[in-house]
Amino acid sequence: LSYFCLFHSGAYCKMLLHAAKYPHCAVNGLLVAEKQKEKKKDSHSTPILCVDCIPLFHGTLALAPMLEVALTLIDTWCKENKYVIAGYYQANERTKDFRPNQVAEKVGARIAENFSEAAMIMVDSTRFTMGCYEPILAIYDHHENKWKCRDCNVDSFEDWCEAQKITSALLEGRSYESLIDFDNHLDDLRNDWTNPEINKSVLHLC
Amino acid sequence: SASLSERSEQMRDKLRKWREDNHRNSEQIVDVGEELINEHASKLGDDIWIIYEQVMIAALDCSRDDLAWTCLQELKRQFPGSQRVKRLAGMRLEALEKYEDASKQYDSILQDDPTNTAARKRKISILKAQGKSAEAIRELNEYLEQFVGDQEAWHELSELYINEHDYGKAAFCLEELMMTNPHNHLYCEQYAEVKYTQGGLENLELSRKYFAQALKLNNRNMRALFGLYMSASHIAASPKVNATVKKANVKYATWATNQINRAYQLAGRGTKENKCSVKAVEEMLESITMS
Repeated sequence: LSYFCLFHSGAYCKMLLHAAKYPHCAVNGLLVAEKQKEKKKDSHSTPILCVDCIPLFHGTLALAPMLEVALTLIDTWCKENKYVIAGYYQANERTKDFRPNQVAEKVGARIAENFSEAAMIMVDSTRFTMGCYEPILAIYDHHENKWKCRDCNVDSFEDWCEAQKITSALLEGRSYESLIDFDNHLDDLRNDWTNPEINKSVLHLC
Repeated sequence: SASLSERSEQMRDKLRKWREDNHRNSEQIVDVGEELINEHASKLGDDIWIIYEQVMIAALDCSRDDLAWTCLQELKRQFPGSQRVKRLAGMRLEALEKYEDASKQYDSILQDDPTNTAARKRKISILKAQGKSAEAIRELNEYLEQFVGDQEAWHELSELYINEHDYGKAAFCLEELMMTNPHNHLYCEQYAEVKYTQGGLENLELSRKYFAQALKLNNRNMRALFGLYMSASHIAASPKVNATVKKANVKYATWATNQINRAYQLAGRGTKENKCSVKAVEEMLESITMS
């Protein structure tokens, strides 16, 4: 049984923009997928499409209260939009360190409680380039209380060429300066963590 | 021409503000600073030296070694033998990941001046960059025994402990900071977050008290407001508390929810996301009053 997820271009690019906005910090966030209408018997053949990404925090990731607040608010937002929280991503503070740590495993496990096919994604900053020539993610699946790494390549994308083109363009244009994460929202409630402006830019480039 | 000198004034003011706020917006500093240095150097007077320093550090952050090198040469020429410039040279070596050479640079500063705190802190940063957390923590503790008033260092240590999930020791560092900065709402709020994360009823109650204290110091601290809601509602839901404590915490949580609601109404432009947040907060309120 192997489930796999597909990344929508917007989801991928927001992850990278988040990491680019805070190159000196650890960053993390959530991935959301469209809620499947019925659970088919052979659901393992249906890919989970990660349609959007909600950037959460930058800096210290290992504290609980604001994470719980974010999960609560985003859960409500998901219900309104027929989404489900399907994954968690993290980029560590040190470039060369791309292994999942305790925070990643804990949050990933928490998400997996509500969504068994949840993916935990680590961003590999050593391969981060403006040109985005290759996918720089490592995907982990939850099997028997362990996280197992699965290969992430161009097949993990709905349309890799599109994802590459859009992400590269937004990086060049420094769109990450206007990316909003949940931390920014807590600093000023008017900051919108759904990032409508960036969503517009993504659609424009599609 | 008038508009040109206006422009250089504006850029100068921007750089000054970013210096004062200790902003790490390195790309913007490089953009503004590079133009200022290349085209308006004559108008900067003595400010130029501190600008060279600021731009150099930002350039290192952006892998602009060319720009960093230029700034460093100007500073070396103007301030030969300066410890402060030596430290900048060390930072450049760090940026190039030449950690041994950087360390030697800082050691030579410390030989001449054993109380040079900047050099000692850079050495600890090297340990951090190399992922040697335990050593960084040990060195930072030693440093703080000597320089017990260094708030930046206490805060750095609290973060190192949090990353190691050693919440008890992180709390201790924040207690030091709260003692010396009793009006700082951020320290109160961070302390409350650490206590909450530590878990257990006693720590939850402490966290609630400190979230409330942070709010008293700054009633617009949203983290404190949300934290008050979270801690109070967890306490109210705990099977270990008696009816009186439960009632009191339901009251705190309800108050917090109403304040959160109000804050969203004030901030909202009727956006869809905002409506969802308001809805989530209403659900939060229902969940407390129902329990």
